[in-house]
Amino acid sequence: MDRKVKIALIGFGSVGRALARVIALKRKIISSKYGILIDVVGVADSKGMALKAEGFDEYELLKLCELPRSGVNLFKPYAYQGVDLDVLYDNTQPEIHIELTPSEYISGEPGVSNIVYAIDRGAHVVTANKAPLVLRYREIVSRALSKGVKIKFRATVLGGTPFIETLMNMRSHDIEKVEGIVNATSNFILTEMHERLIDFNDALKRAQALGVAEANPALDIDGIDAAAKLVIISNVLEKPITIEEIYKESISGITLKDVIDAVRQGCVLKSIASFDIRGRKASIRVVRIPKSDLFAQINGIMNGVRIRSDATEVVFIGKGGGSMETAHSVLDDILSIAMEYL
Amino acid sequence: MNGKQLCVTKIGGSLLKDSKSYLYSAQKIKEIFIENGYKTIIVVSAAKGITDKLIEVAKGSQNALNYVNEKYLEIARELNSVKIIRRVEEELKRLKTVANAIGGGGVDLSIYDLLLSFGERISKILMVGALESIGVNALELHANDLIVTNENFSDASIDYISTSANLEKLYSSIIDNPAIPVVEGFIGATMDGRITTLGRGGSDYTATAIASLLNIDRVYLVTDVDGIMTTDPDTIKTAKLVKVMSYRESLEAALHGAKRINPKAFEPLEKFYSSKLVIGSWSRFGTEIVKEIPRELWGPKVVMNRSTQNMPYIAIVGEGTSTTRFIRRVLEVIDENGMDVLGVQSYIYRPSLLIYVSPTYEFKLLSLLHRELFEGDER
Repeated sequence: MDRKVKIALIGFGSVGRALARVIALKRKIISSKYGILIDVVGVADSKGMALKAEGFDEYELLKLCELPRSGVNLFKPYAYQGVDLDVLYDNTQPEIHIELTPSEYISGEPGVSNIVYAIDRGAHVVTANKAPLVLRYREIVSRALSKGVKIKFRATVLGGTPFIETLMNMRSHDIEKVEGIVNATSNFILTEMHERLIDFNDALKRAQALGVAEANPALDIDGIDAAAKLVIISNVLEKPITIEEIYKESISGITLKDVIDAVRQGCVLKSIASFDIRGRKASIRVVRIPKSDLFAQINGIMNGVRIRSDATEVVFIGKGGGSMETAHSVLDDILSIAMEYL
Repeated sequence: MNGKQLCVTKIGGSLLKDSKSYLYSAQKIKEIFIENGYKTIIVVSAAKGITDKLIEVAKGSQNALNYVNEKYLEIARELNSVKIIRRVEEELKRLKTVANAIGGGGVDLSIYDLLLSFGERISKILMVGALESIGVNALELHANDLIVTNENFSDASIDYISTSANLEKLYSSIIDNPAIPVVEGFIGATMDGRITTLGRGGSDYTATAIASLLNIDRVYLVTDVDGIMTTDPDTIKTAKLVKVMSYRESLEAALHGAKRINPKAFEPLEKFYSSKLVIGSWSRFGTEIVKEIPRELWGPKVVMNRSTQNMPYIAIVGEGTSTTRFIRRVLEVIDENGMDVLGVQSYIYRPSLLIYVSPTYEFKLLSLLHRELFEGDER
């Protein structure tokens, strides 16, 4: 008999929708493979919630994806106006809380409160929102530990790869340095500038047209998203740094002339996130990389990170920000919690 | 449910003009298919005229962008669903971002195809809205998740293996689902997710690819005429419906410009599964196109006047039209009526006979041949 696992999706933007889609399409296959039947019992966005204690069926999950942005409150007959986690939890009793609200790096809200609430209600947490981890990693992890629940977040760094899981499992290693290209949007813009010889603004417009960059791209182009990822990495390695400590260089100042100068010297410009563990130095810098270097080959929306330890060097390459890839990482976290702890 | 109760229905853009026509098509889908226990996958084109406007948008026309905006918003408002209006507004906002990025240059085909794709995508949202407003459960499928193509932007070809894997994954959820799936025609995506378009008339190609890869027996191509006609009824009033044609015949007719079926649409039917094409309007499905026709149905099907490099010619299309006997018969008729031909072209392996004539004879010969071939006693 299938073990039913009840989950609630908090935040319903592109990753939330991709996740609902993937669950709709793969839920039966997953149940026959692993004996776990994922029931989405609640979905919330900034304006409202849709709740169904016995879980939405495949059709309903796909119909949820057709709602306009912030339109969960239109999903009759399951809709509620406004978000109230008490109502959501009391009515549906989710076992895993999926935090997919947008990252906000001043207060970390609503992610921090949502995650703390979930932990206090005894729900495991999977988050793709980085901000709560960036601002309150220690507090959240120790709170989860004391309540006996798990928090997983492999979608937050190199979301299309099992990078975070691997980093956590390199327990015997003394990790010296982690560096690479960790932001898909800025890497896409830089690649466009090199390949098409267009200036930053045109490349940004293309990125926005193709859905690679958001309407407000500041987090990506100013290095804040990349810095947030380094903060999470530093916490995973138990050598925490804060986001303020990280030097951040924006790619918005790069001119076409800079690109051409670099290319003339046999180099390309890349935005490289680097965390030197021993020196406790972290930065996001635009650097000239020789064309023969591995990082020079990582283009478009690809990400690539090199982990150097006292024993070895490991490289991860994979898609960074795509909603489908991120949704699969979130789903993998859900499944690993369901299989190990439920 | 099995493949016999499942069909594919493509709704052409000529039928989608305003909110009434979306609702009318939705009503017909309900009456013809759902109430008779059939399930159909709907493939929709962009609303009438929209693709041409989007091509102008790609060239930098703000007026064309305004037209697309107003047209689609008007239809959405008349369907009277908050959900549909907001969805269409979101898509139009994205369209504006894309139009902004193309900046009138129009050189980058990947952005160009992305821009064109909004015509079909919004039409799909509207069709789902129309179906739901008359009480039919419907579900959006996304062509860019399903139809994988090569990177030949603006005239892409479908990668059948990848597409078939995607369709199979979806099949069980389509079949068990209470809803009518609606997918946009004409659109695909490369392996790495960039939007492509399949060329003019590409929605037919979408429909035949889905049907043949899922072993579905029938594909309905719904348009504003009752079927394929023996000739252009605007030129010759006595034109009749062609009841049955073979793939070869209709492909040959398409190559000479008859009924706007994209010739690529036949490729999956030849390669994988030979679904029957049924062509017509919501009031009458007049023409069936099948893999092969029995010998007794051989003979001319369509006659039309075309021109190549300013050389007018009359094309007679049908199995057997390239045989010596048929050619002799046609030439005798022409001779008996005191006309001369400038050239004759036929190959025994192709179901057509082309007759080059001087422009003075063009229409006279067309009507003579139509009368002789289709209005005589033998048919």
